[in-house]
Amino acid sequence: MEKGRTRMGLKDVLPGGGTSSVTGGMFGDGSPTFLTSKIDWIINWSRRNSLWPMPFGTACCAIEMMASAASNYDLARFGMERMSFSPRQADVLICAGRVPYKLAPVLRRIWDQMPQPKWCVSMGACASSGGVFDVYSMVQGIDTIIPVDVYIPGCPPRPEGLIYGLMMIQEKIREESLSRHFEHRAEDPSRVARPHANAAQVVGLTGPFGNSTQQEELSNKESGATEGTPEERIP
Amino acid sequence: MTLDETKAGLDAVEEGPHLSERSTGSSDSKIDDPDGHPSVVALLLQFGDSVSGHRVSAGTQHVVWIDSARNLEILHWLRDSQDHQYDMISDITAVDYGAGRPIDVVYQLFSTVHKRALRIRCELPLDGLEIDSIVELWSAANWLEREVYDLFGVTFRKHPDLRRILMPDDYEEGHPLRKDFPLRGRFSRAEQTRRALDQSVEHSYIAEEMDLGRDPQQAVPIIGTKDGDG
Repeated sequence: MEKGRTRMGLKDVLPGGGTSSVTGGMFGDGSPTFLTSKIDWIINWSRRNSLWPMPFGTACCAIEMMASAASNYDLARFGMERMSFSPRQADVLICAGRVPYKLAPVLRRIWDQMPQPKWCVSMGACASSGGVFDVYSMVQGIDTIIPVDVYIPGCPPRPEGLIYGLMMIQEKIREESLSRHFEHRAEDPSRVARPHANAAQVVGLTGPFGNSTQQEELSNKESGATEGTPEERIP
Repeated sequence: MTLDETKAGLDAVEEGPHLSERSTGSSDSKIDDPDGHPSVVALLLQFGDSVSGHRVSAGTQHVVWIDSARNLEILHWLRDSQDHQYDMISDITAVDYGAGRPIDVVYQLFSTVHKRALRIRCELPLDGLEIDSIVELWSAANWLEREVYDLFGVTFRKHPDLRRILMPDDYEEGHPLRKDFPLRGRFSRAEQTRRALDQSVEHSYIAEEMDLGRDPQQAVPIIGTKDGDG
């Protein structure tokens, strides 16, 4: 079971090695059989592929969030099948937009109402840092109110940005383990050590497409002085 | 915009920031040509001793400065007299010009009968920020006056429910739109966050207020009034 630890498909976990054919086992004569895997893998697989978002949209970022859920970008492809307008049935809180201090207890209450396991995406500059609203009435980053897993930059981010952020959440879930439950599941932002991940872990979390530096490496491009000049970009 | 105005504007940019000028007021009792607006003529005839100034702004907008002690009486007359009938209060706001100068309370009126707009302004010195409420004339003034109270600290006498409307009820840093208010507030960010999280959600979002409008047959009560008939 060690091979293909986190990326195994159904064939890998079939009895009898499983890579050859599917004539035996559970697809055979219908007699009772079994499937073995790591409990962490099963749980993480089911969790990351059925993330139900709780949309907390307060400003223009929410428009991009709605566009992400609409047919053109179709967030449902990634398991965010249903926008959960009740925090009781939600897995990931998407805070899209600026949060004034008067709304801070509301956001905190919604986060508290969500059952574990839960994750949080801070979408856009205002939710992440207060953005241009460095004024008396505005929360300077929602990580002062609730713990945040992924920050999406942009003002507002494009739907691709939100989808990418949610896929990073999926990558994060992939690495979680029941034995490290309390490490992952802090309720109180003051108990969460920041930053969560070191540089190597961040690189690991930026899949599946990687960040731009990794893409350059993967495509064996050397970043020379002439790379990326406007002349070269014009076809 | 004429060439002279453009040049004056460019010169002002060169000079940099400076105190904004008051357009007029009691210090300058000049009356612009009132003939363009029948209500201004009538106001000067009826309440001449209480009208301290008049300007025509942006070509068509007539602005009249009146004595703040008689605002209720004058606005009542403007609403009810047949020739004027300002039946709609578009906005109530205030202007703080800074440097210890008086705060202006601004009433923007509109007559749906005569299709006329009129702007009434009252000067209030900083040590006497009190004026009569006009909620009894226009119910719409209720929340507008609460907003002016919240952001400028102007007290409206006999207002049925004078409490903050935008800032939290227990906000103690002052009135944010005053010129002497620091942009980021008076408390530290940590203190502001702590105070925000200490608020009770139920306190800001009252079930009675949330239920308003669900039943069209039900008379909408104004929170805080004794009889509740609005």
